[in-house]
Amino acid sequence: MTGAGGRIEIDGLAKQFGELRVFENVDLTIGEREIVSIVGPSGCGKTTMLRCIDGLVKPDGGEVRINGQRVTEPPRGVAVVFQHFGLFPWKTVYENVAYGLRLAGVPKKQIEESVPRHIELVGLAGFEKAYPYQLSGGMQQRTGLARALATEPDVLLMDEPFASIDAQTREILQFELLRIWESRPTSMVFVTHSIEEAVLMGDRVVVLRGRPSTVHEVIETGLPRPRTRDVLSSPRFNEVREHVWSTLMQEAERAERELQETR
Amino acid sequence: MTVARLRGPLVSVAGLAAGAGIWEFVGRHTQAVSFAPFSATVSALWSMLVSGELPRALESSLKLFGAGLGLAIVLGFLLGLVMARIDAIRIGLEPYVAMLYATPMVALIPFILAVFGFQFRSKLIVVVLFGIWPIVINTLEGARSVNPELLEVAKSYRSSELQLWGHVVIPYTLPYTMTGIRQAIARSLIGMIASEFLLQADGLGNLILIYTQRFDTAHVLAAVLAITLLATALMGVGRAAENRVARWKVGV
Amino acid sequence: MSATAQSVPLPRPFALGPRAGRFALRIGTGAALLALWEGFVTLFAPSYVARPSGVARVLPDVLSSSLFWSDARVTVVAVFEGLAIGVVLGVVVGLTMGRLRDVDSALRFYVSAFFAMPLIALVPVMTLWFGYTGTVRLAIVSFGAFLPVCLNVYDGTRKLPAHYVEVAQSYHARWWNVWFGIALPASLPYLLAGFRLAAGRALVAAVIAEYIVALPGLGYFIIFDSRTFHMNEAMVAVLALALLGVAINSLADLLTRRFLPWYRRA
Repeated sequence: MTGAGGRIEIDGLAKQFGELRVFENVDLTIGEREIVSIVGPSGCGKTTMLRCIDGLVKPDGGEVRINGQRVTEPPRGVAVVFQHFGLFPWKTVYENVAYGLRLAGVPKKQIEESVPRHIELVGLAGFEKAYPYQLSGGMQQRTGLARALATEPDVLLMDEPFASIDAQTREILQFELLRIWESRPTSMVFVTHSIEEAVLMGDRVVVLRGRPSTVHEVIETGLPRPRTRDVLSSPRFNEVREHVWSTLMQEAERAERELQETR
Repeated sequence: MTVARLRGPLVSVAGLAAGAGIWEFVGRHTQAVSFAPFSATVSALWSMLVSGELPRALESSLKLFGAGLGLAIVLGFLLGLVMARIDAIRIGLEPYVAMLYATPMVALIPFILAVFGFQFRSKLIVVVLFGIWPIVINTLEGARSVNPELLEVAKSYRSSELQLWGHVVIPYTLPYTMTGIRQAIARSLIGMIASEFLLQADGLGNLILIYTQRFDTAHVLAAVLAITLLATALMGVGRAAENRVARWKVGV
Repeated sequence: MSATAQSVPLPRPFALGPRAGRFALRIGTGAALLALWEGFVTLFAPSYVARPSGVARVLPDVLSSSLFWSDARVTVVAVFEGLAIGVVLGVVVGLTMGRLRDVDSALRFYVSAFFAMPLIALVPVMTLWFGYTGTVRLAIVSFGAFLPVCLNVYDGTRKLPAHYVEVAQSYHARWWNVWFGIALPASLPYLLAGFRLAAGRALVAAVIAEYIVALPGLGYFIIFDSRTFHMNEAMVAVLALALLGVAINSLADLLTRRFLPWYRRA
C-alpha cells in the first residue's frame, strides 16, 4: 500500500491561558511522510500545541495550515492518538475502532472490511468484542491506534501515546508503530516527554524551551529507516540523545535558579 | 470577562422572574378555585406569617420532623454499625432491610394508626420509618468499605478495638452516613406531610388540607411554597454538612 | 491475604464461616422477625391488627379475589406509565441542562426545589386541577419519577470526562453525536441510579394519591380494608407493594448487568 502524506505549516503560533503565556512565535514545517518529535519540560505546552494543530484548541496568535488549508476545526485526514487512550468504555474494541468511520458516514460494507483489518494490524485480532476495561493499558492504546489508523489519515498526531504504559510494553509498541508506519507512511507529529522516544521516532526532534516556550532547537536525527532495535545502541542515537538531554538540563537548572530568586 | 461571569446568575434571575411571570399570568387567567396568581400567593403567605398561623404550623411540623429525623439518624447509624460489625446480624437482616427500603412506607400508616392511635408517637414512628433505611444502608456500606490497609496501619500502631473504631472506622463511615442523611431529609419530609394528612391533622400539612377544603387556592399554594422553601433550606443544610464531613474525600 | 479476608476487612469476633448457613441464617432471622411481630401484636394491639398468622390465613382468599388483582393491576400500570413518562422527560431535560449552560442556570433552581420538597403536598391542590380522577395519580407519579432521573442524568452529563468530548470532536462529531453518542451513554449509570430513586418515589406517590383521592388501587385497597378492620387482608396488599418495589429494583440490576457490562462500580 502506498502511504499518504500531509504537509503541516505552523506560522507564528501562540497560545495563552489567561495571563499565562504558554508558547509563542512557533514556526515549524513538517514535510510529507516526515516524523517530527516534540520534546520539552512538563508544562511547556507541547500537548496544547498538538491540540492547536488538530484545531481542538484555538490559538491566540499565528496559524496552522495542513496541505495549504488553514485549520479552524479538526480537519479531515488528521487523526489523534491520545495519552489516556480516549476509548469509550461503553463500546467494544470493534465499535471503538469503527467510531471515526461511522461519524464520517463511511458505507457499512467498507466499515466491515476496514475495522477487522486494522484490529489485526495492531495485533488485537480476537479481542473485537472485549470492552476497554477488560484490556491492559498496552492493548487499550493499540485500540486507540487502530481507531486512528482506520480513518486512513494523512497526518497522525501522537499526544504522548505511550506515557501511561509500562516500560516493557512501551518499547514493544514503539517498534510496532514504526513497523506500521513503514507499511503506510504518514506525516506524524509525536509529542513526548521521553528523550529516547523522541529520538527513536523522529526524523527531526524539536526542543521547546523557555517561558513562554519557543522552539529552541531543531535537530536532524540522521538515523536510518527502517529503524530497528539496533538503532538504540548506535553511536549517533546516543550522541543526539545526550545533546537533547543537556539542552533540557540547562533549562531545568535555569528554571530552578529563577524559582529560588523569586522566593 | 465580567459579562461572561455574570451570565449564569443573570440567566438564573431571568429564569426565576419568568417563572413568577408565568405563574402570575396563568393565575390571572384561570378560575380562582383552581389556581391563584403569584402576587395573591405571596400576599397569602404574608398574611399567614403575620397572623402567626404559619409560624405555629411550622413549629409543629419542625418538631415532628426534627424528632423523627434525629431518631432515625441515631437508630440508623447504630443499626448500620452493628450490621457492619457482626456478620450474623448483617447476613440475617440485609434482605429485610433492602425490602423495607424498597417498600413505600405510606402503606404502613393505617397499621401504625391501629396500634398507636391518633397521637404524636404515631406520626413520629412514620417519620422515623421513612428516614431510617437510607441511613442504615449507607452507614453499612461505608463501614464495610474501610480501606483494609488503614486498619492494618492502626493495628500496627497497637490501636485498641475501641480506638480502631473511633479513629478509623467511624470517621471513614461518616461521609457515607451523611449521604444517607441527605436522602433521609427528603424522605422524612414526605413522612411528615403524609402523617399530617393521614394521621393527626396538624402543622403545614393541615394548612394545605384546611385551605383546600375552603377552595382558597392562594393559601394552599402559599403553604406549598412555604414547604418548598423549608425543604430547599433543609436540603441545603444537609448538603453543606455532607461536604464538610466529606472534605477529606475530595482527593480519594 | 486471602480473598475472604479482603472482602471482610473489619475485625469481627462473631464472624461466620463463609457461605455456611447464610441461607439458614436469613430464614431464621425472617422467622424471628415474624415471631416478634406476632408476639407484639398479640400482647399490645387490638385483635383486628394484622399479624403473620392472620395474614397467612386470609392469603388464599385475597389472592383468589378479583378485586385484589384488578386493584393491583391499576397501581402497577399507573406506576409503570408514570415511570416511562418520567424517565423520558427526565433524560431529555437532564441532558439539555447538562449540555447547555443557560438552560442549566434557568432551570436548576426549579428542579432542585421540586426534588427537595415532598411532592405529595401537591396532591390536594391537584384534586382541584384534575378532579378526583386517576390523572392526579399519573401526574404525581410522573413528576415524582421525572425529578430524580432528570437530576441524575444532569449530574452524569456534567461529570462527563472532557477527553471523551475531545475525542469525539477530533473525529468531527456534531452536537447530536456528542449528546446522544457520548453524553447519554456515559450518563447511563447515573440514569439507572436515578431510576431506582424514581421507582421508590413513584410507588409512594401512587399510594398517597390513592389514599387521598380515593382511587381504586392497592393503596385504596389497604386503606379501605384497614378501616373496615380487615387488616390482615390489607397487609397482603402491603406485601404486594413491597414485592413490586423489590421487583423494580431487581429489574434495574438486571438492566445494569445486561446493558452496562462495561460499568463497574468504583
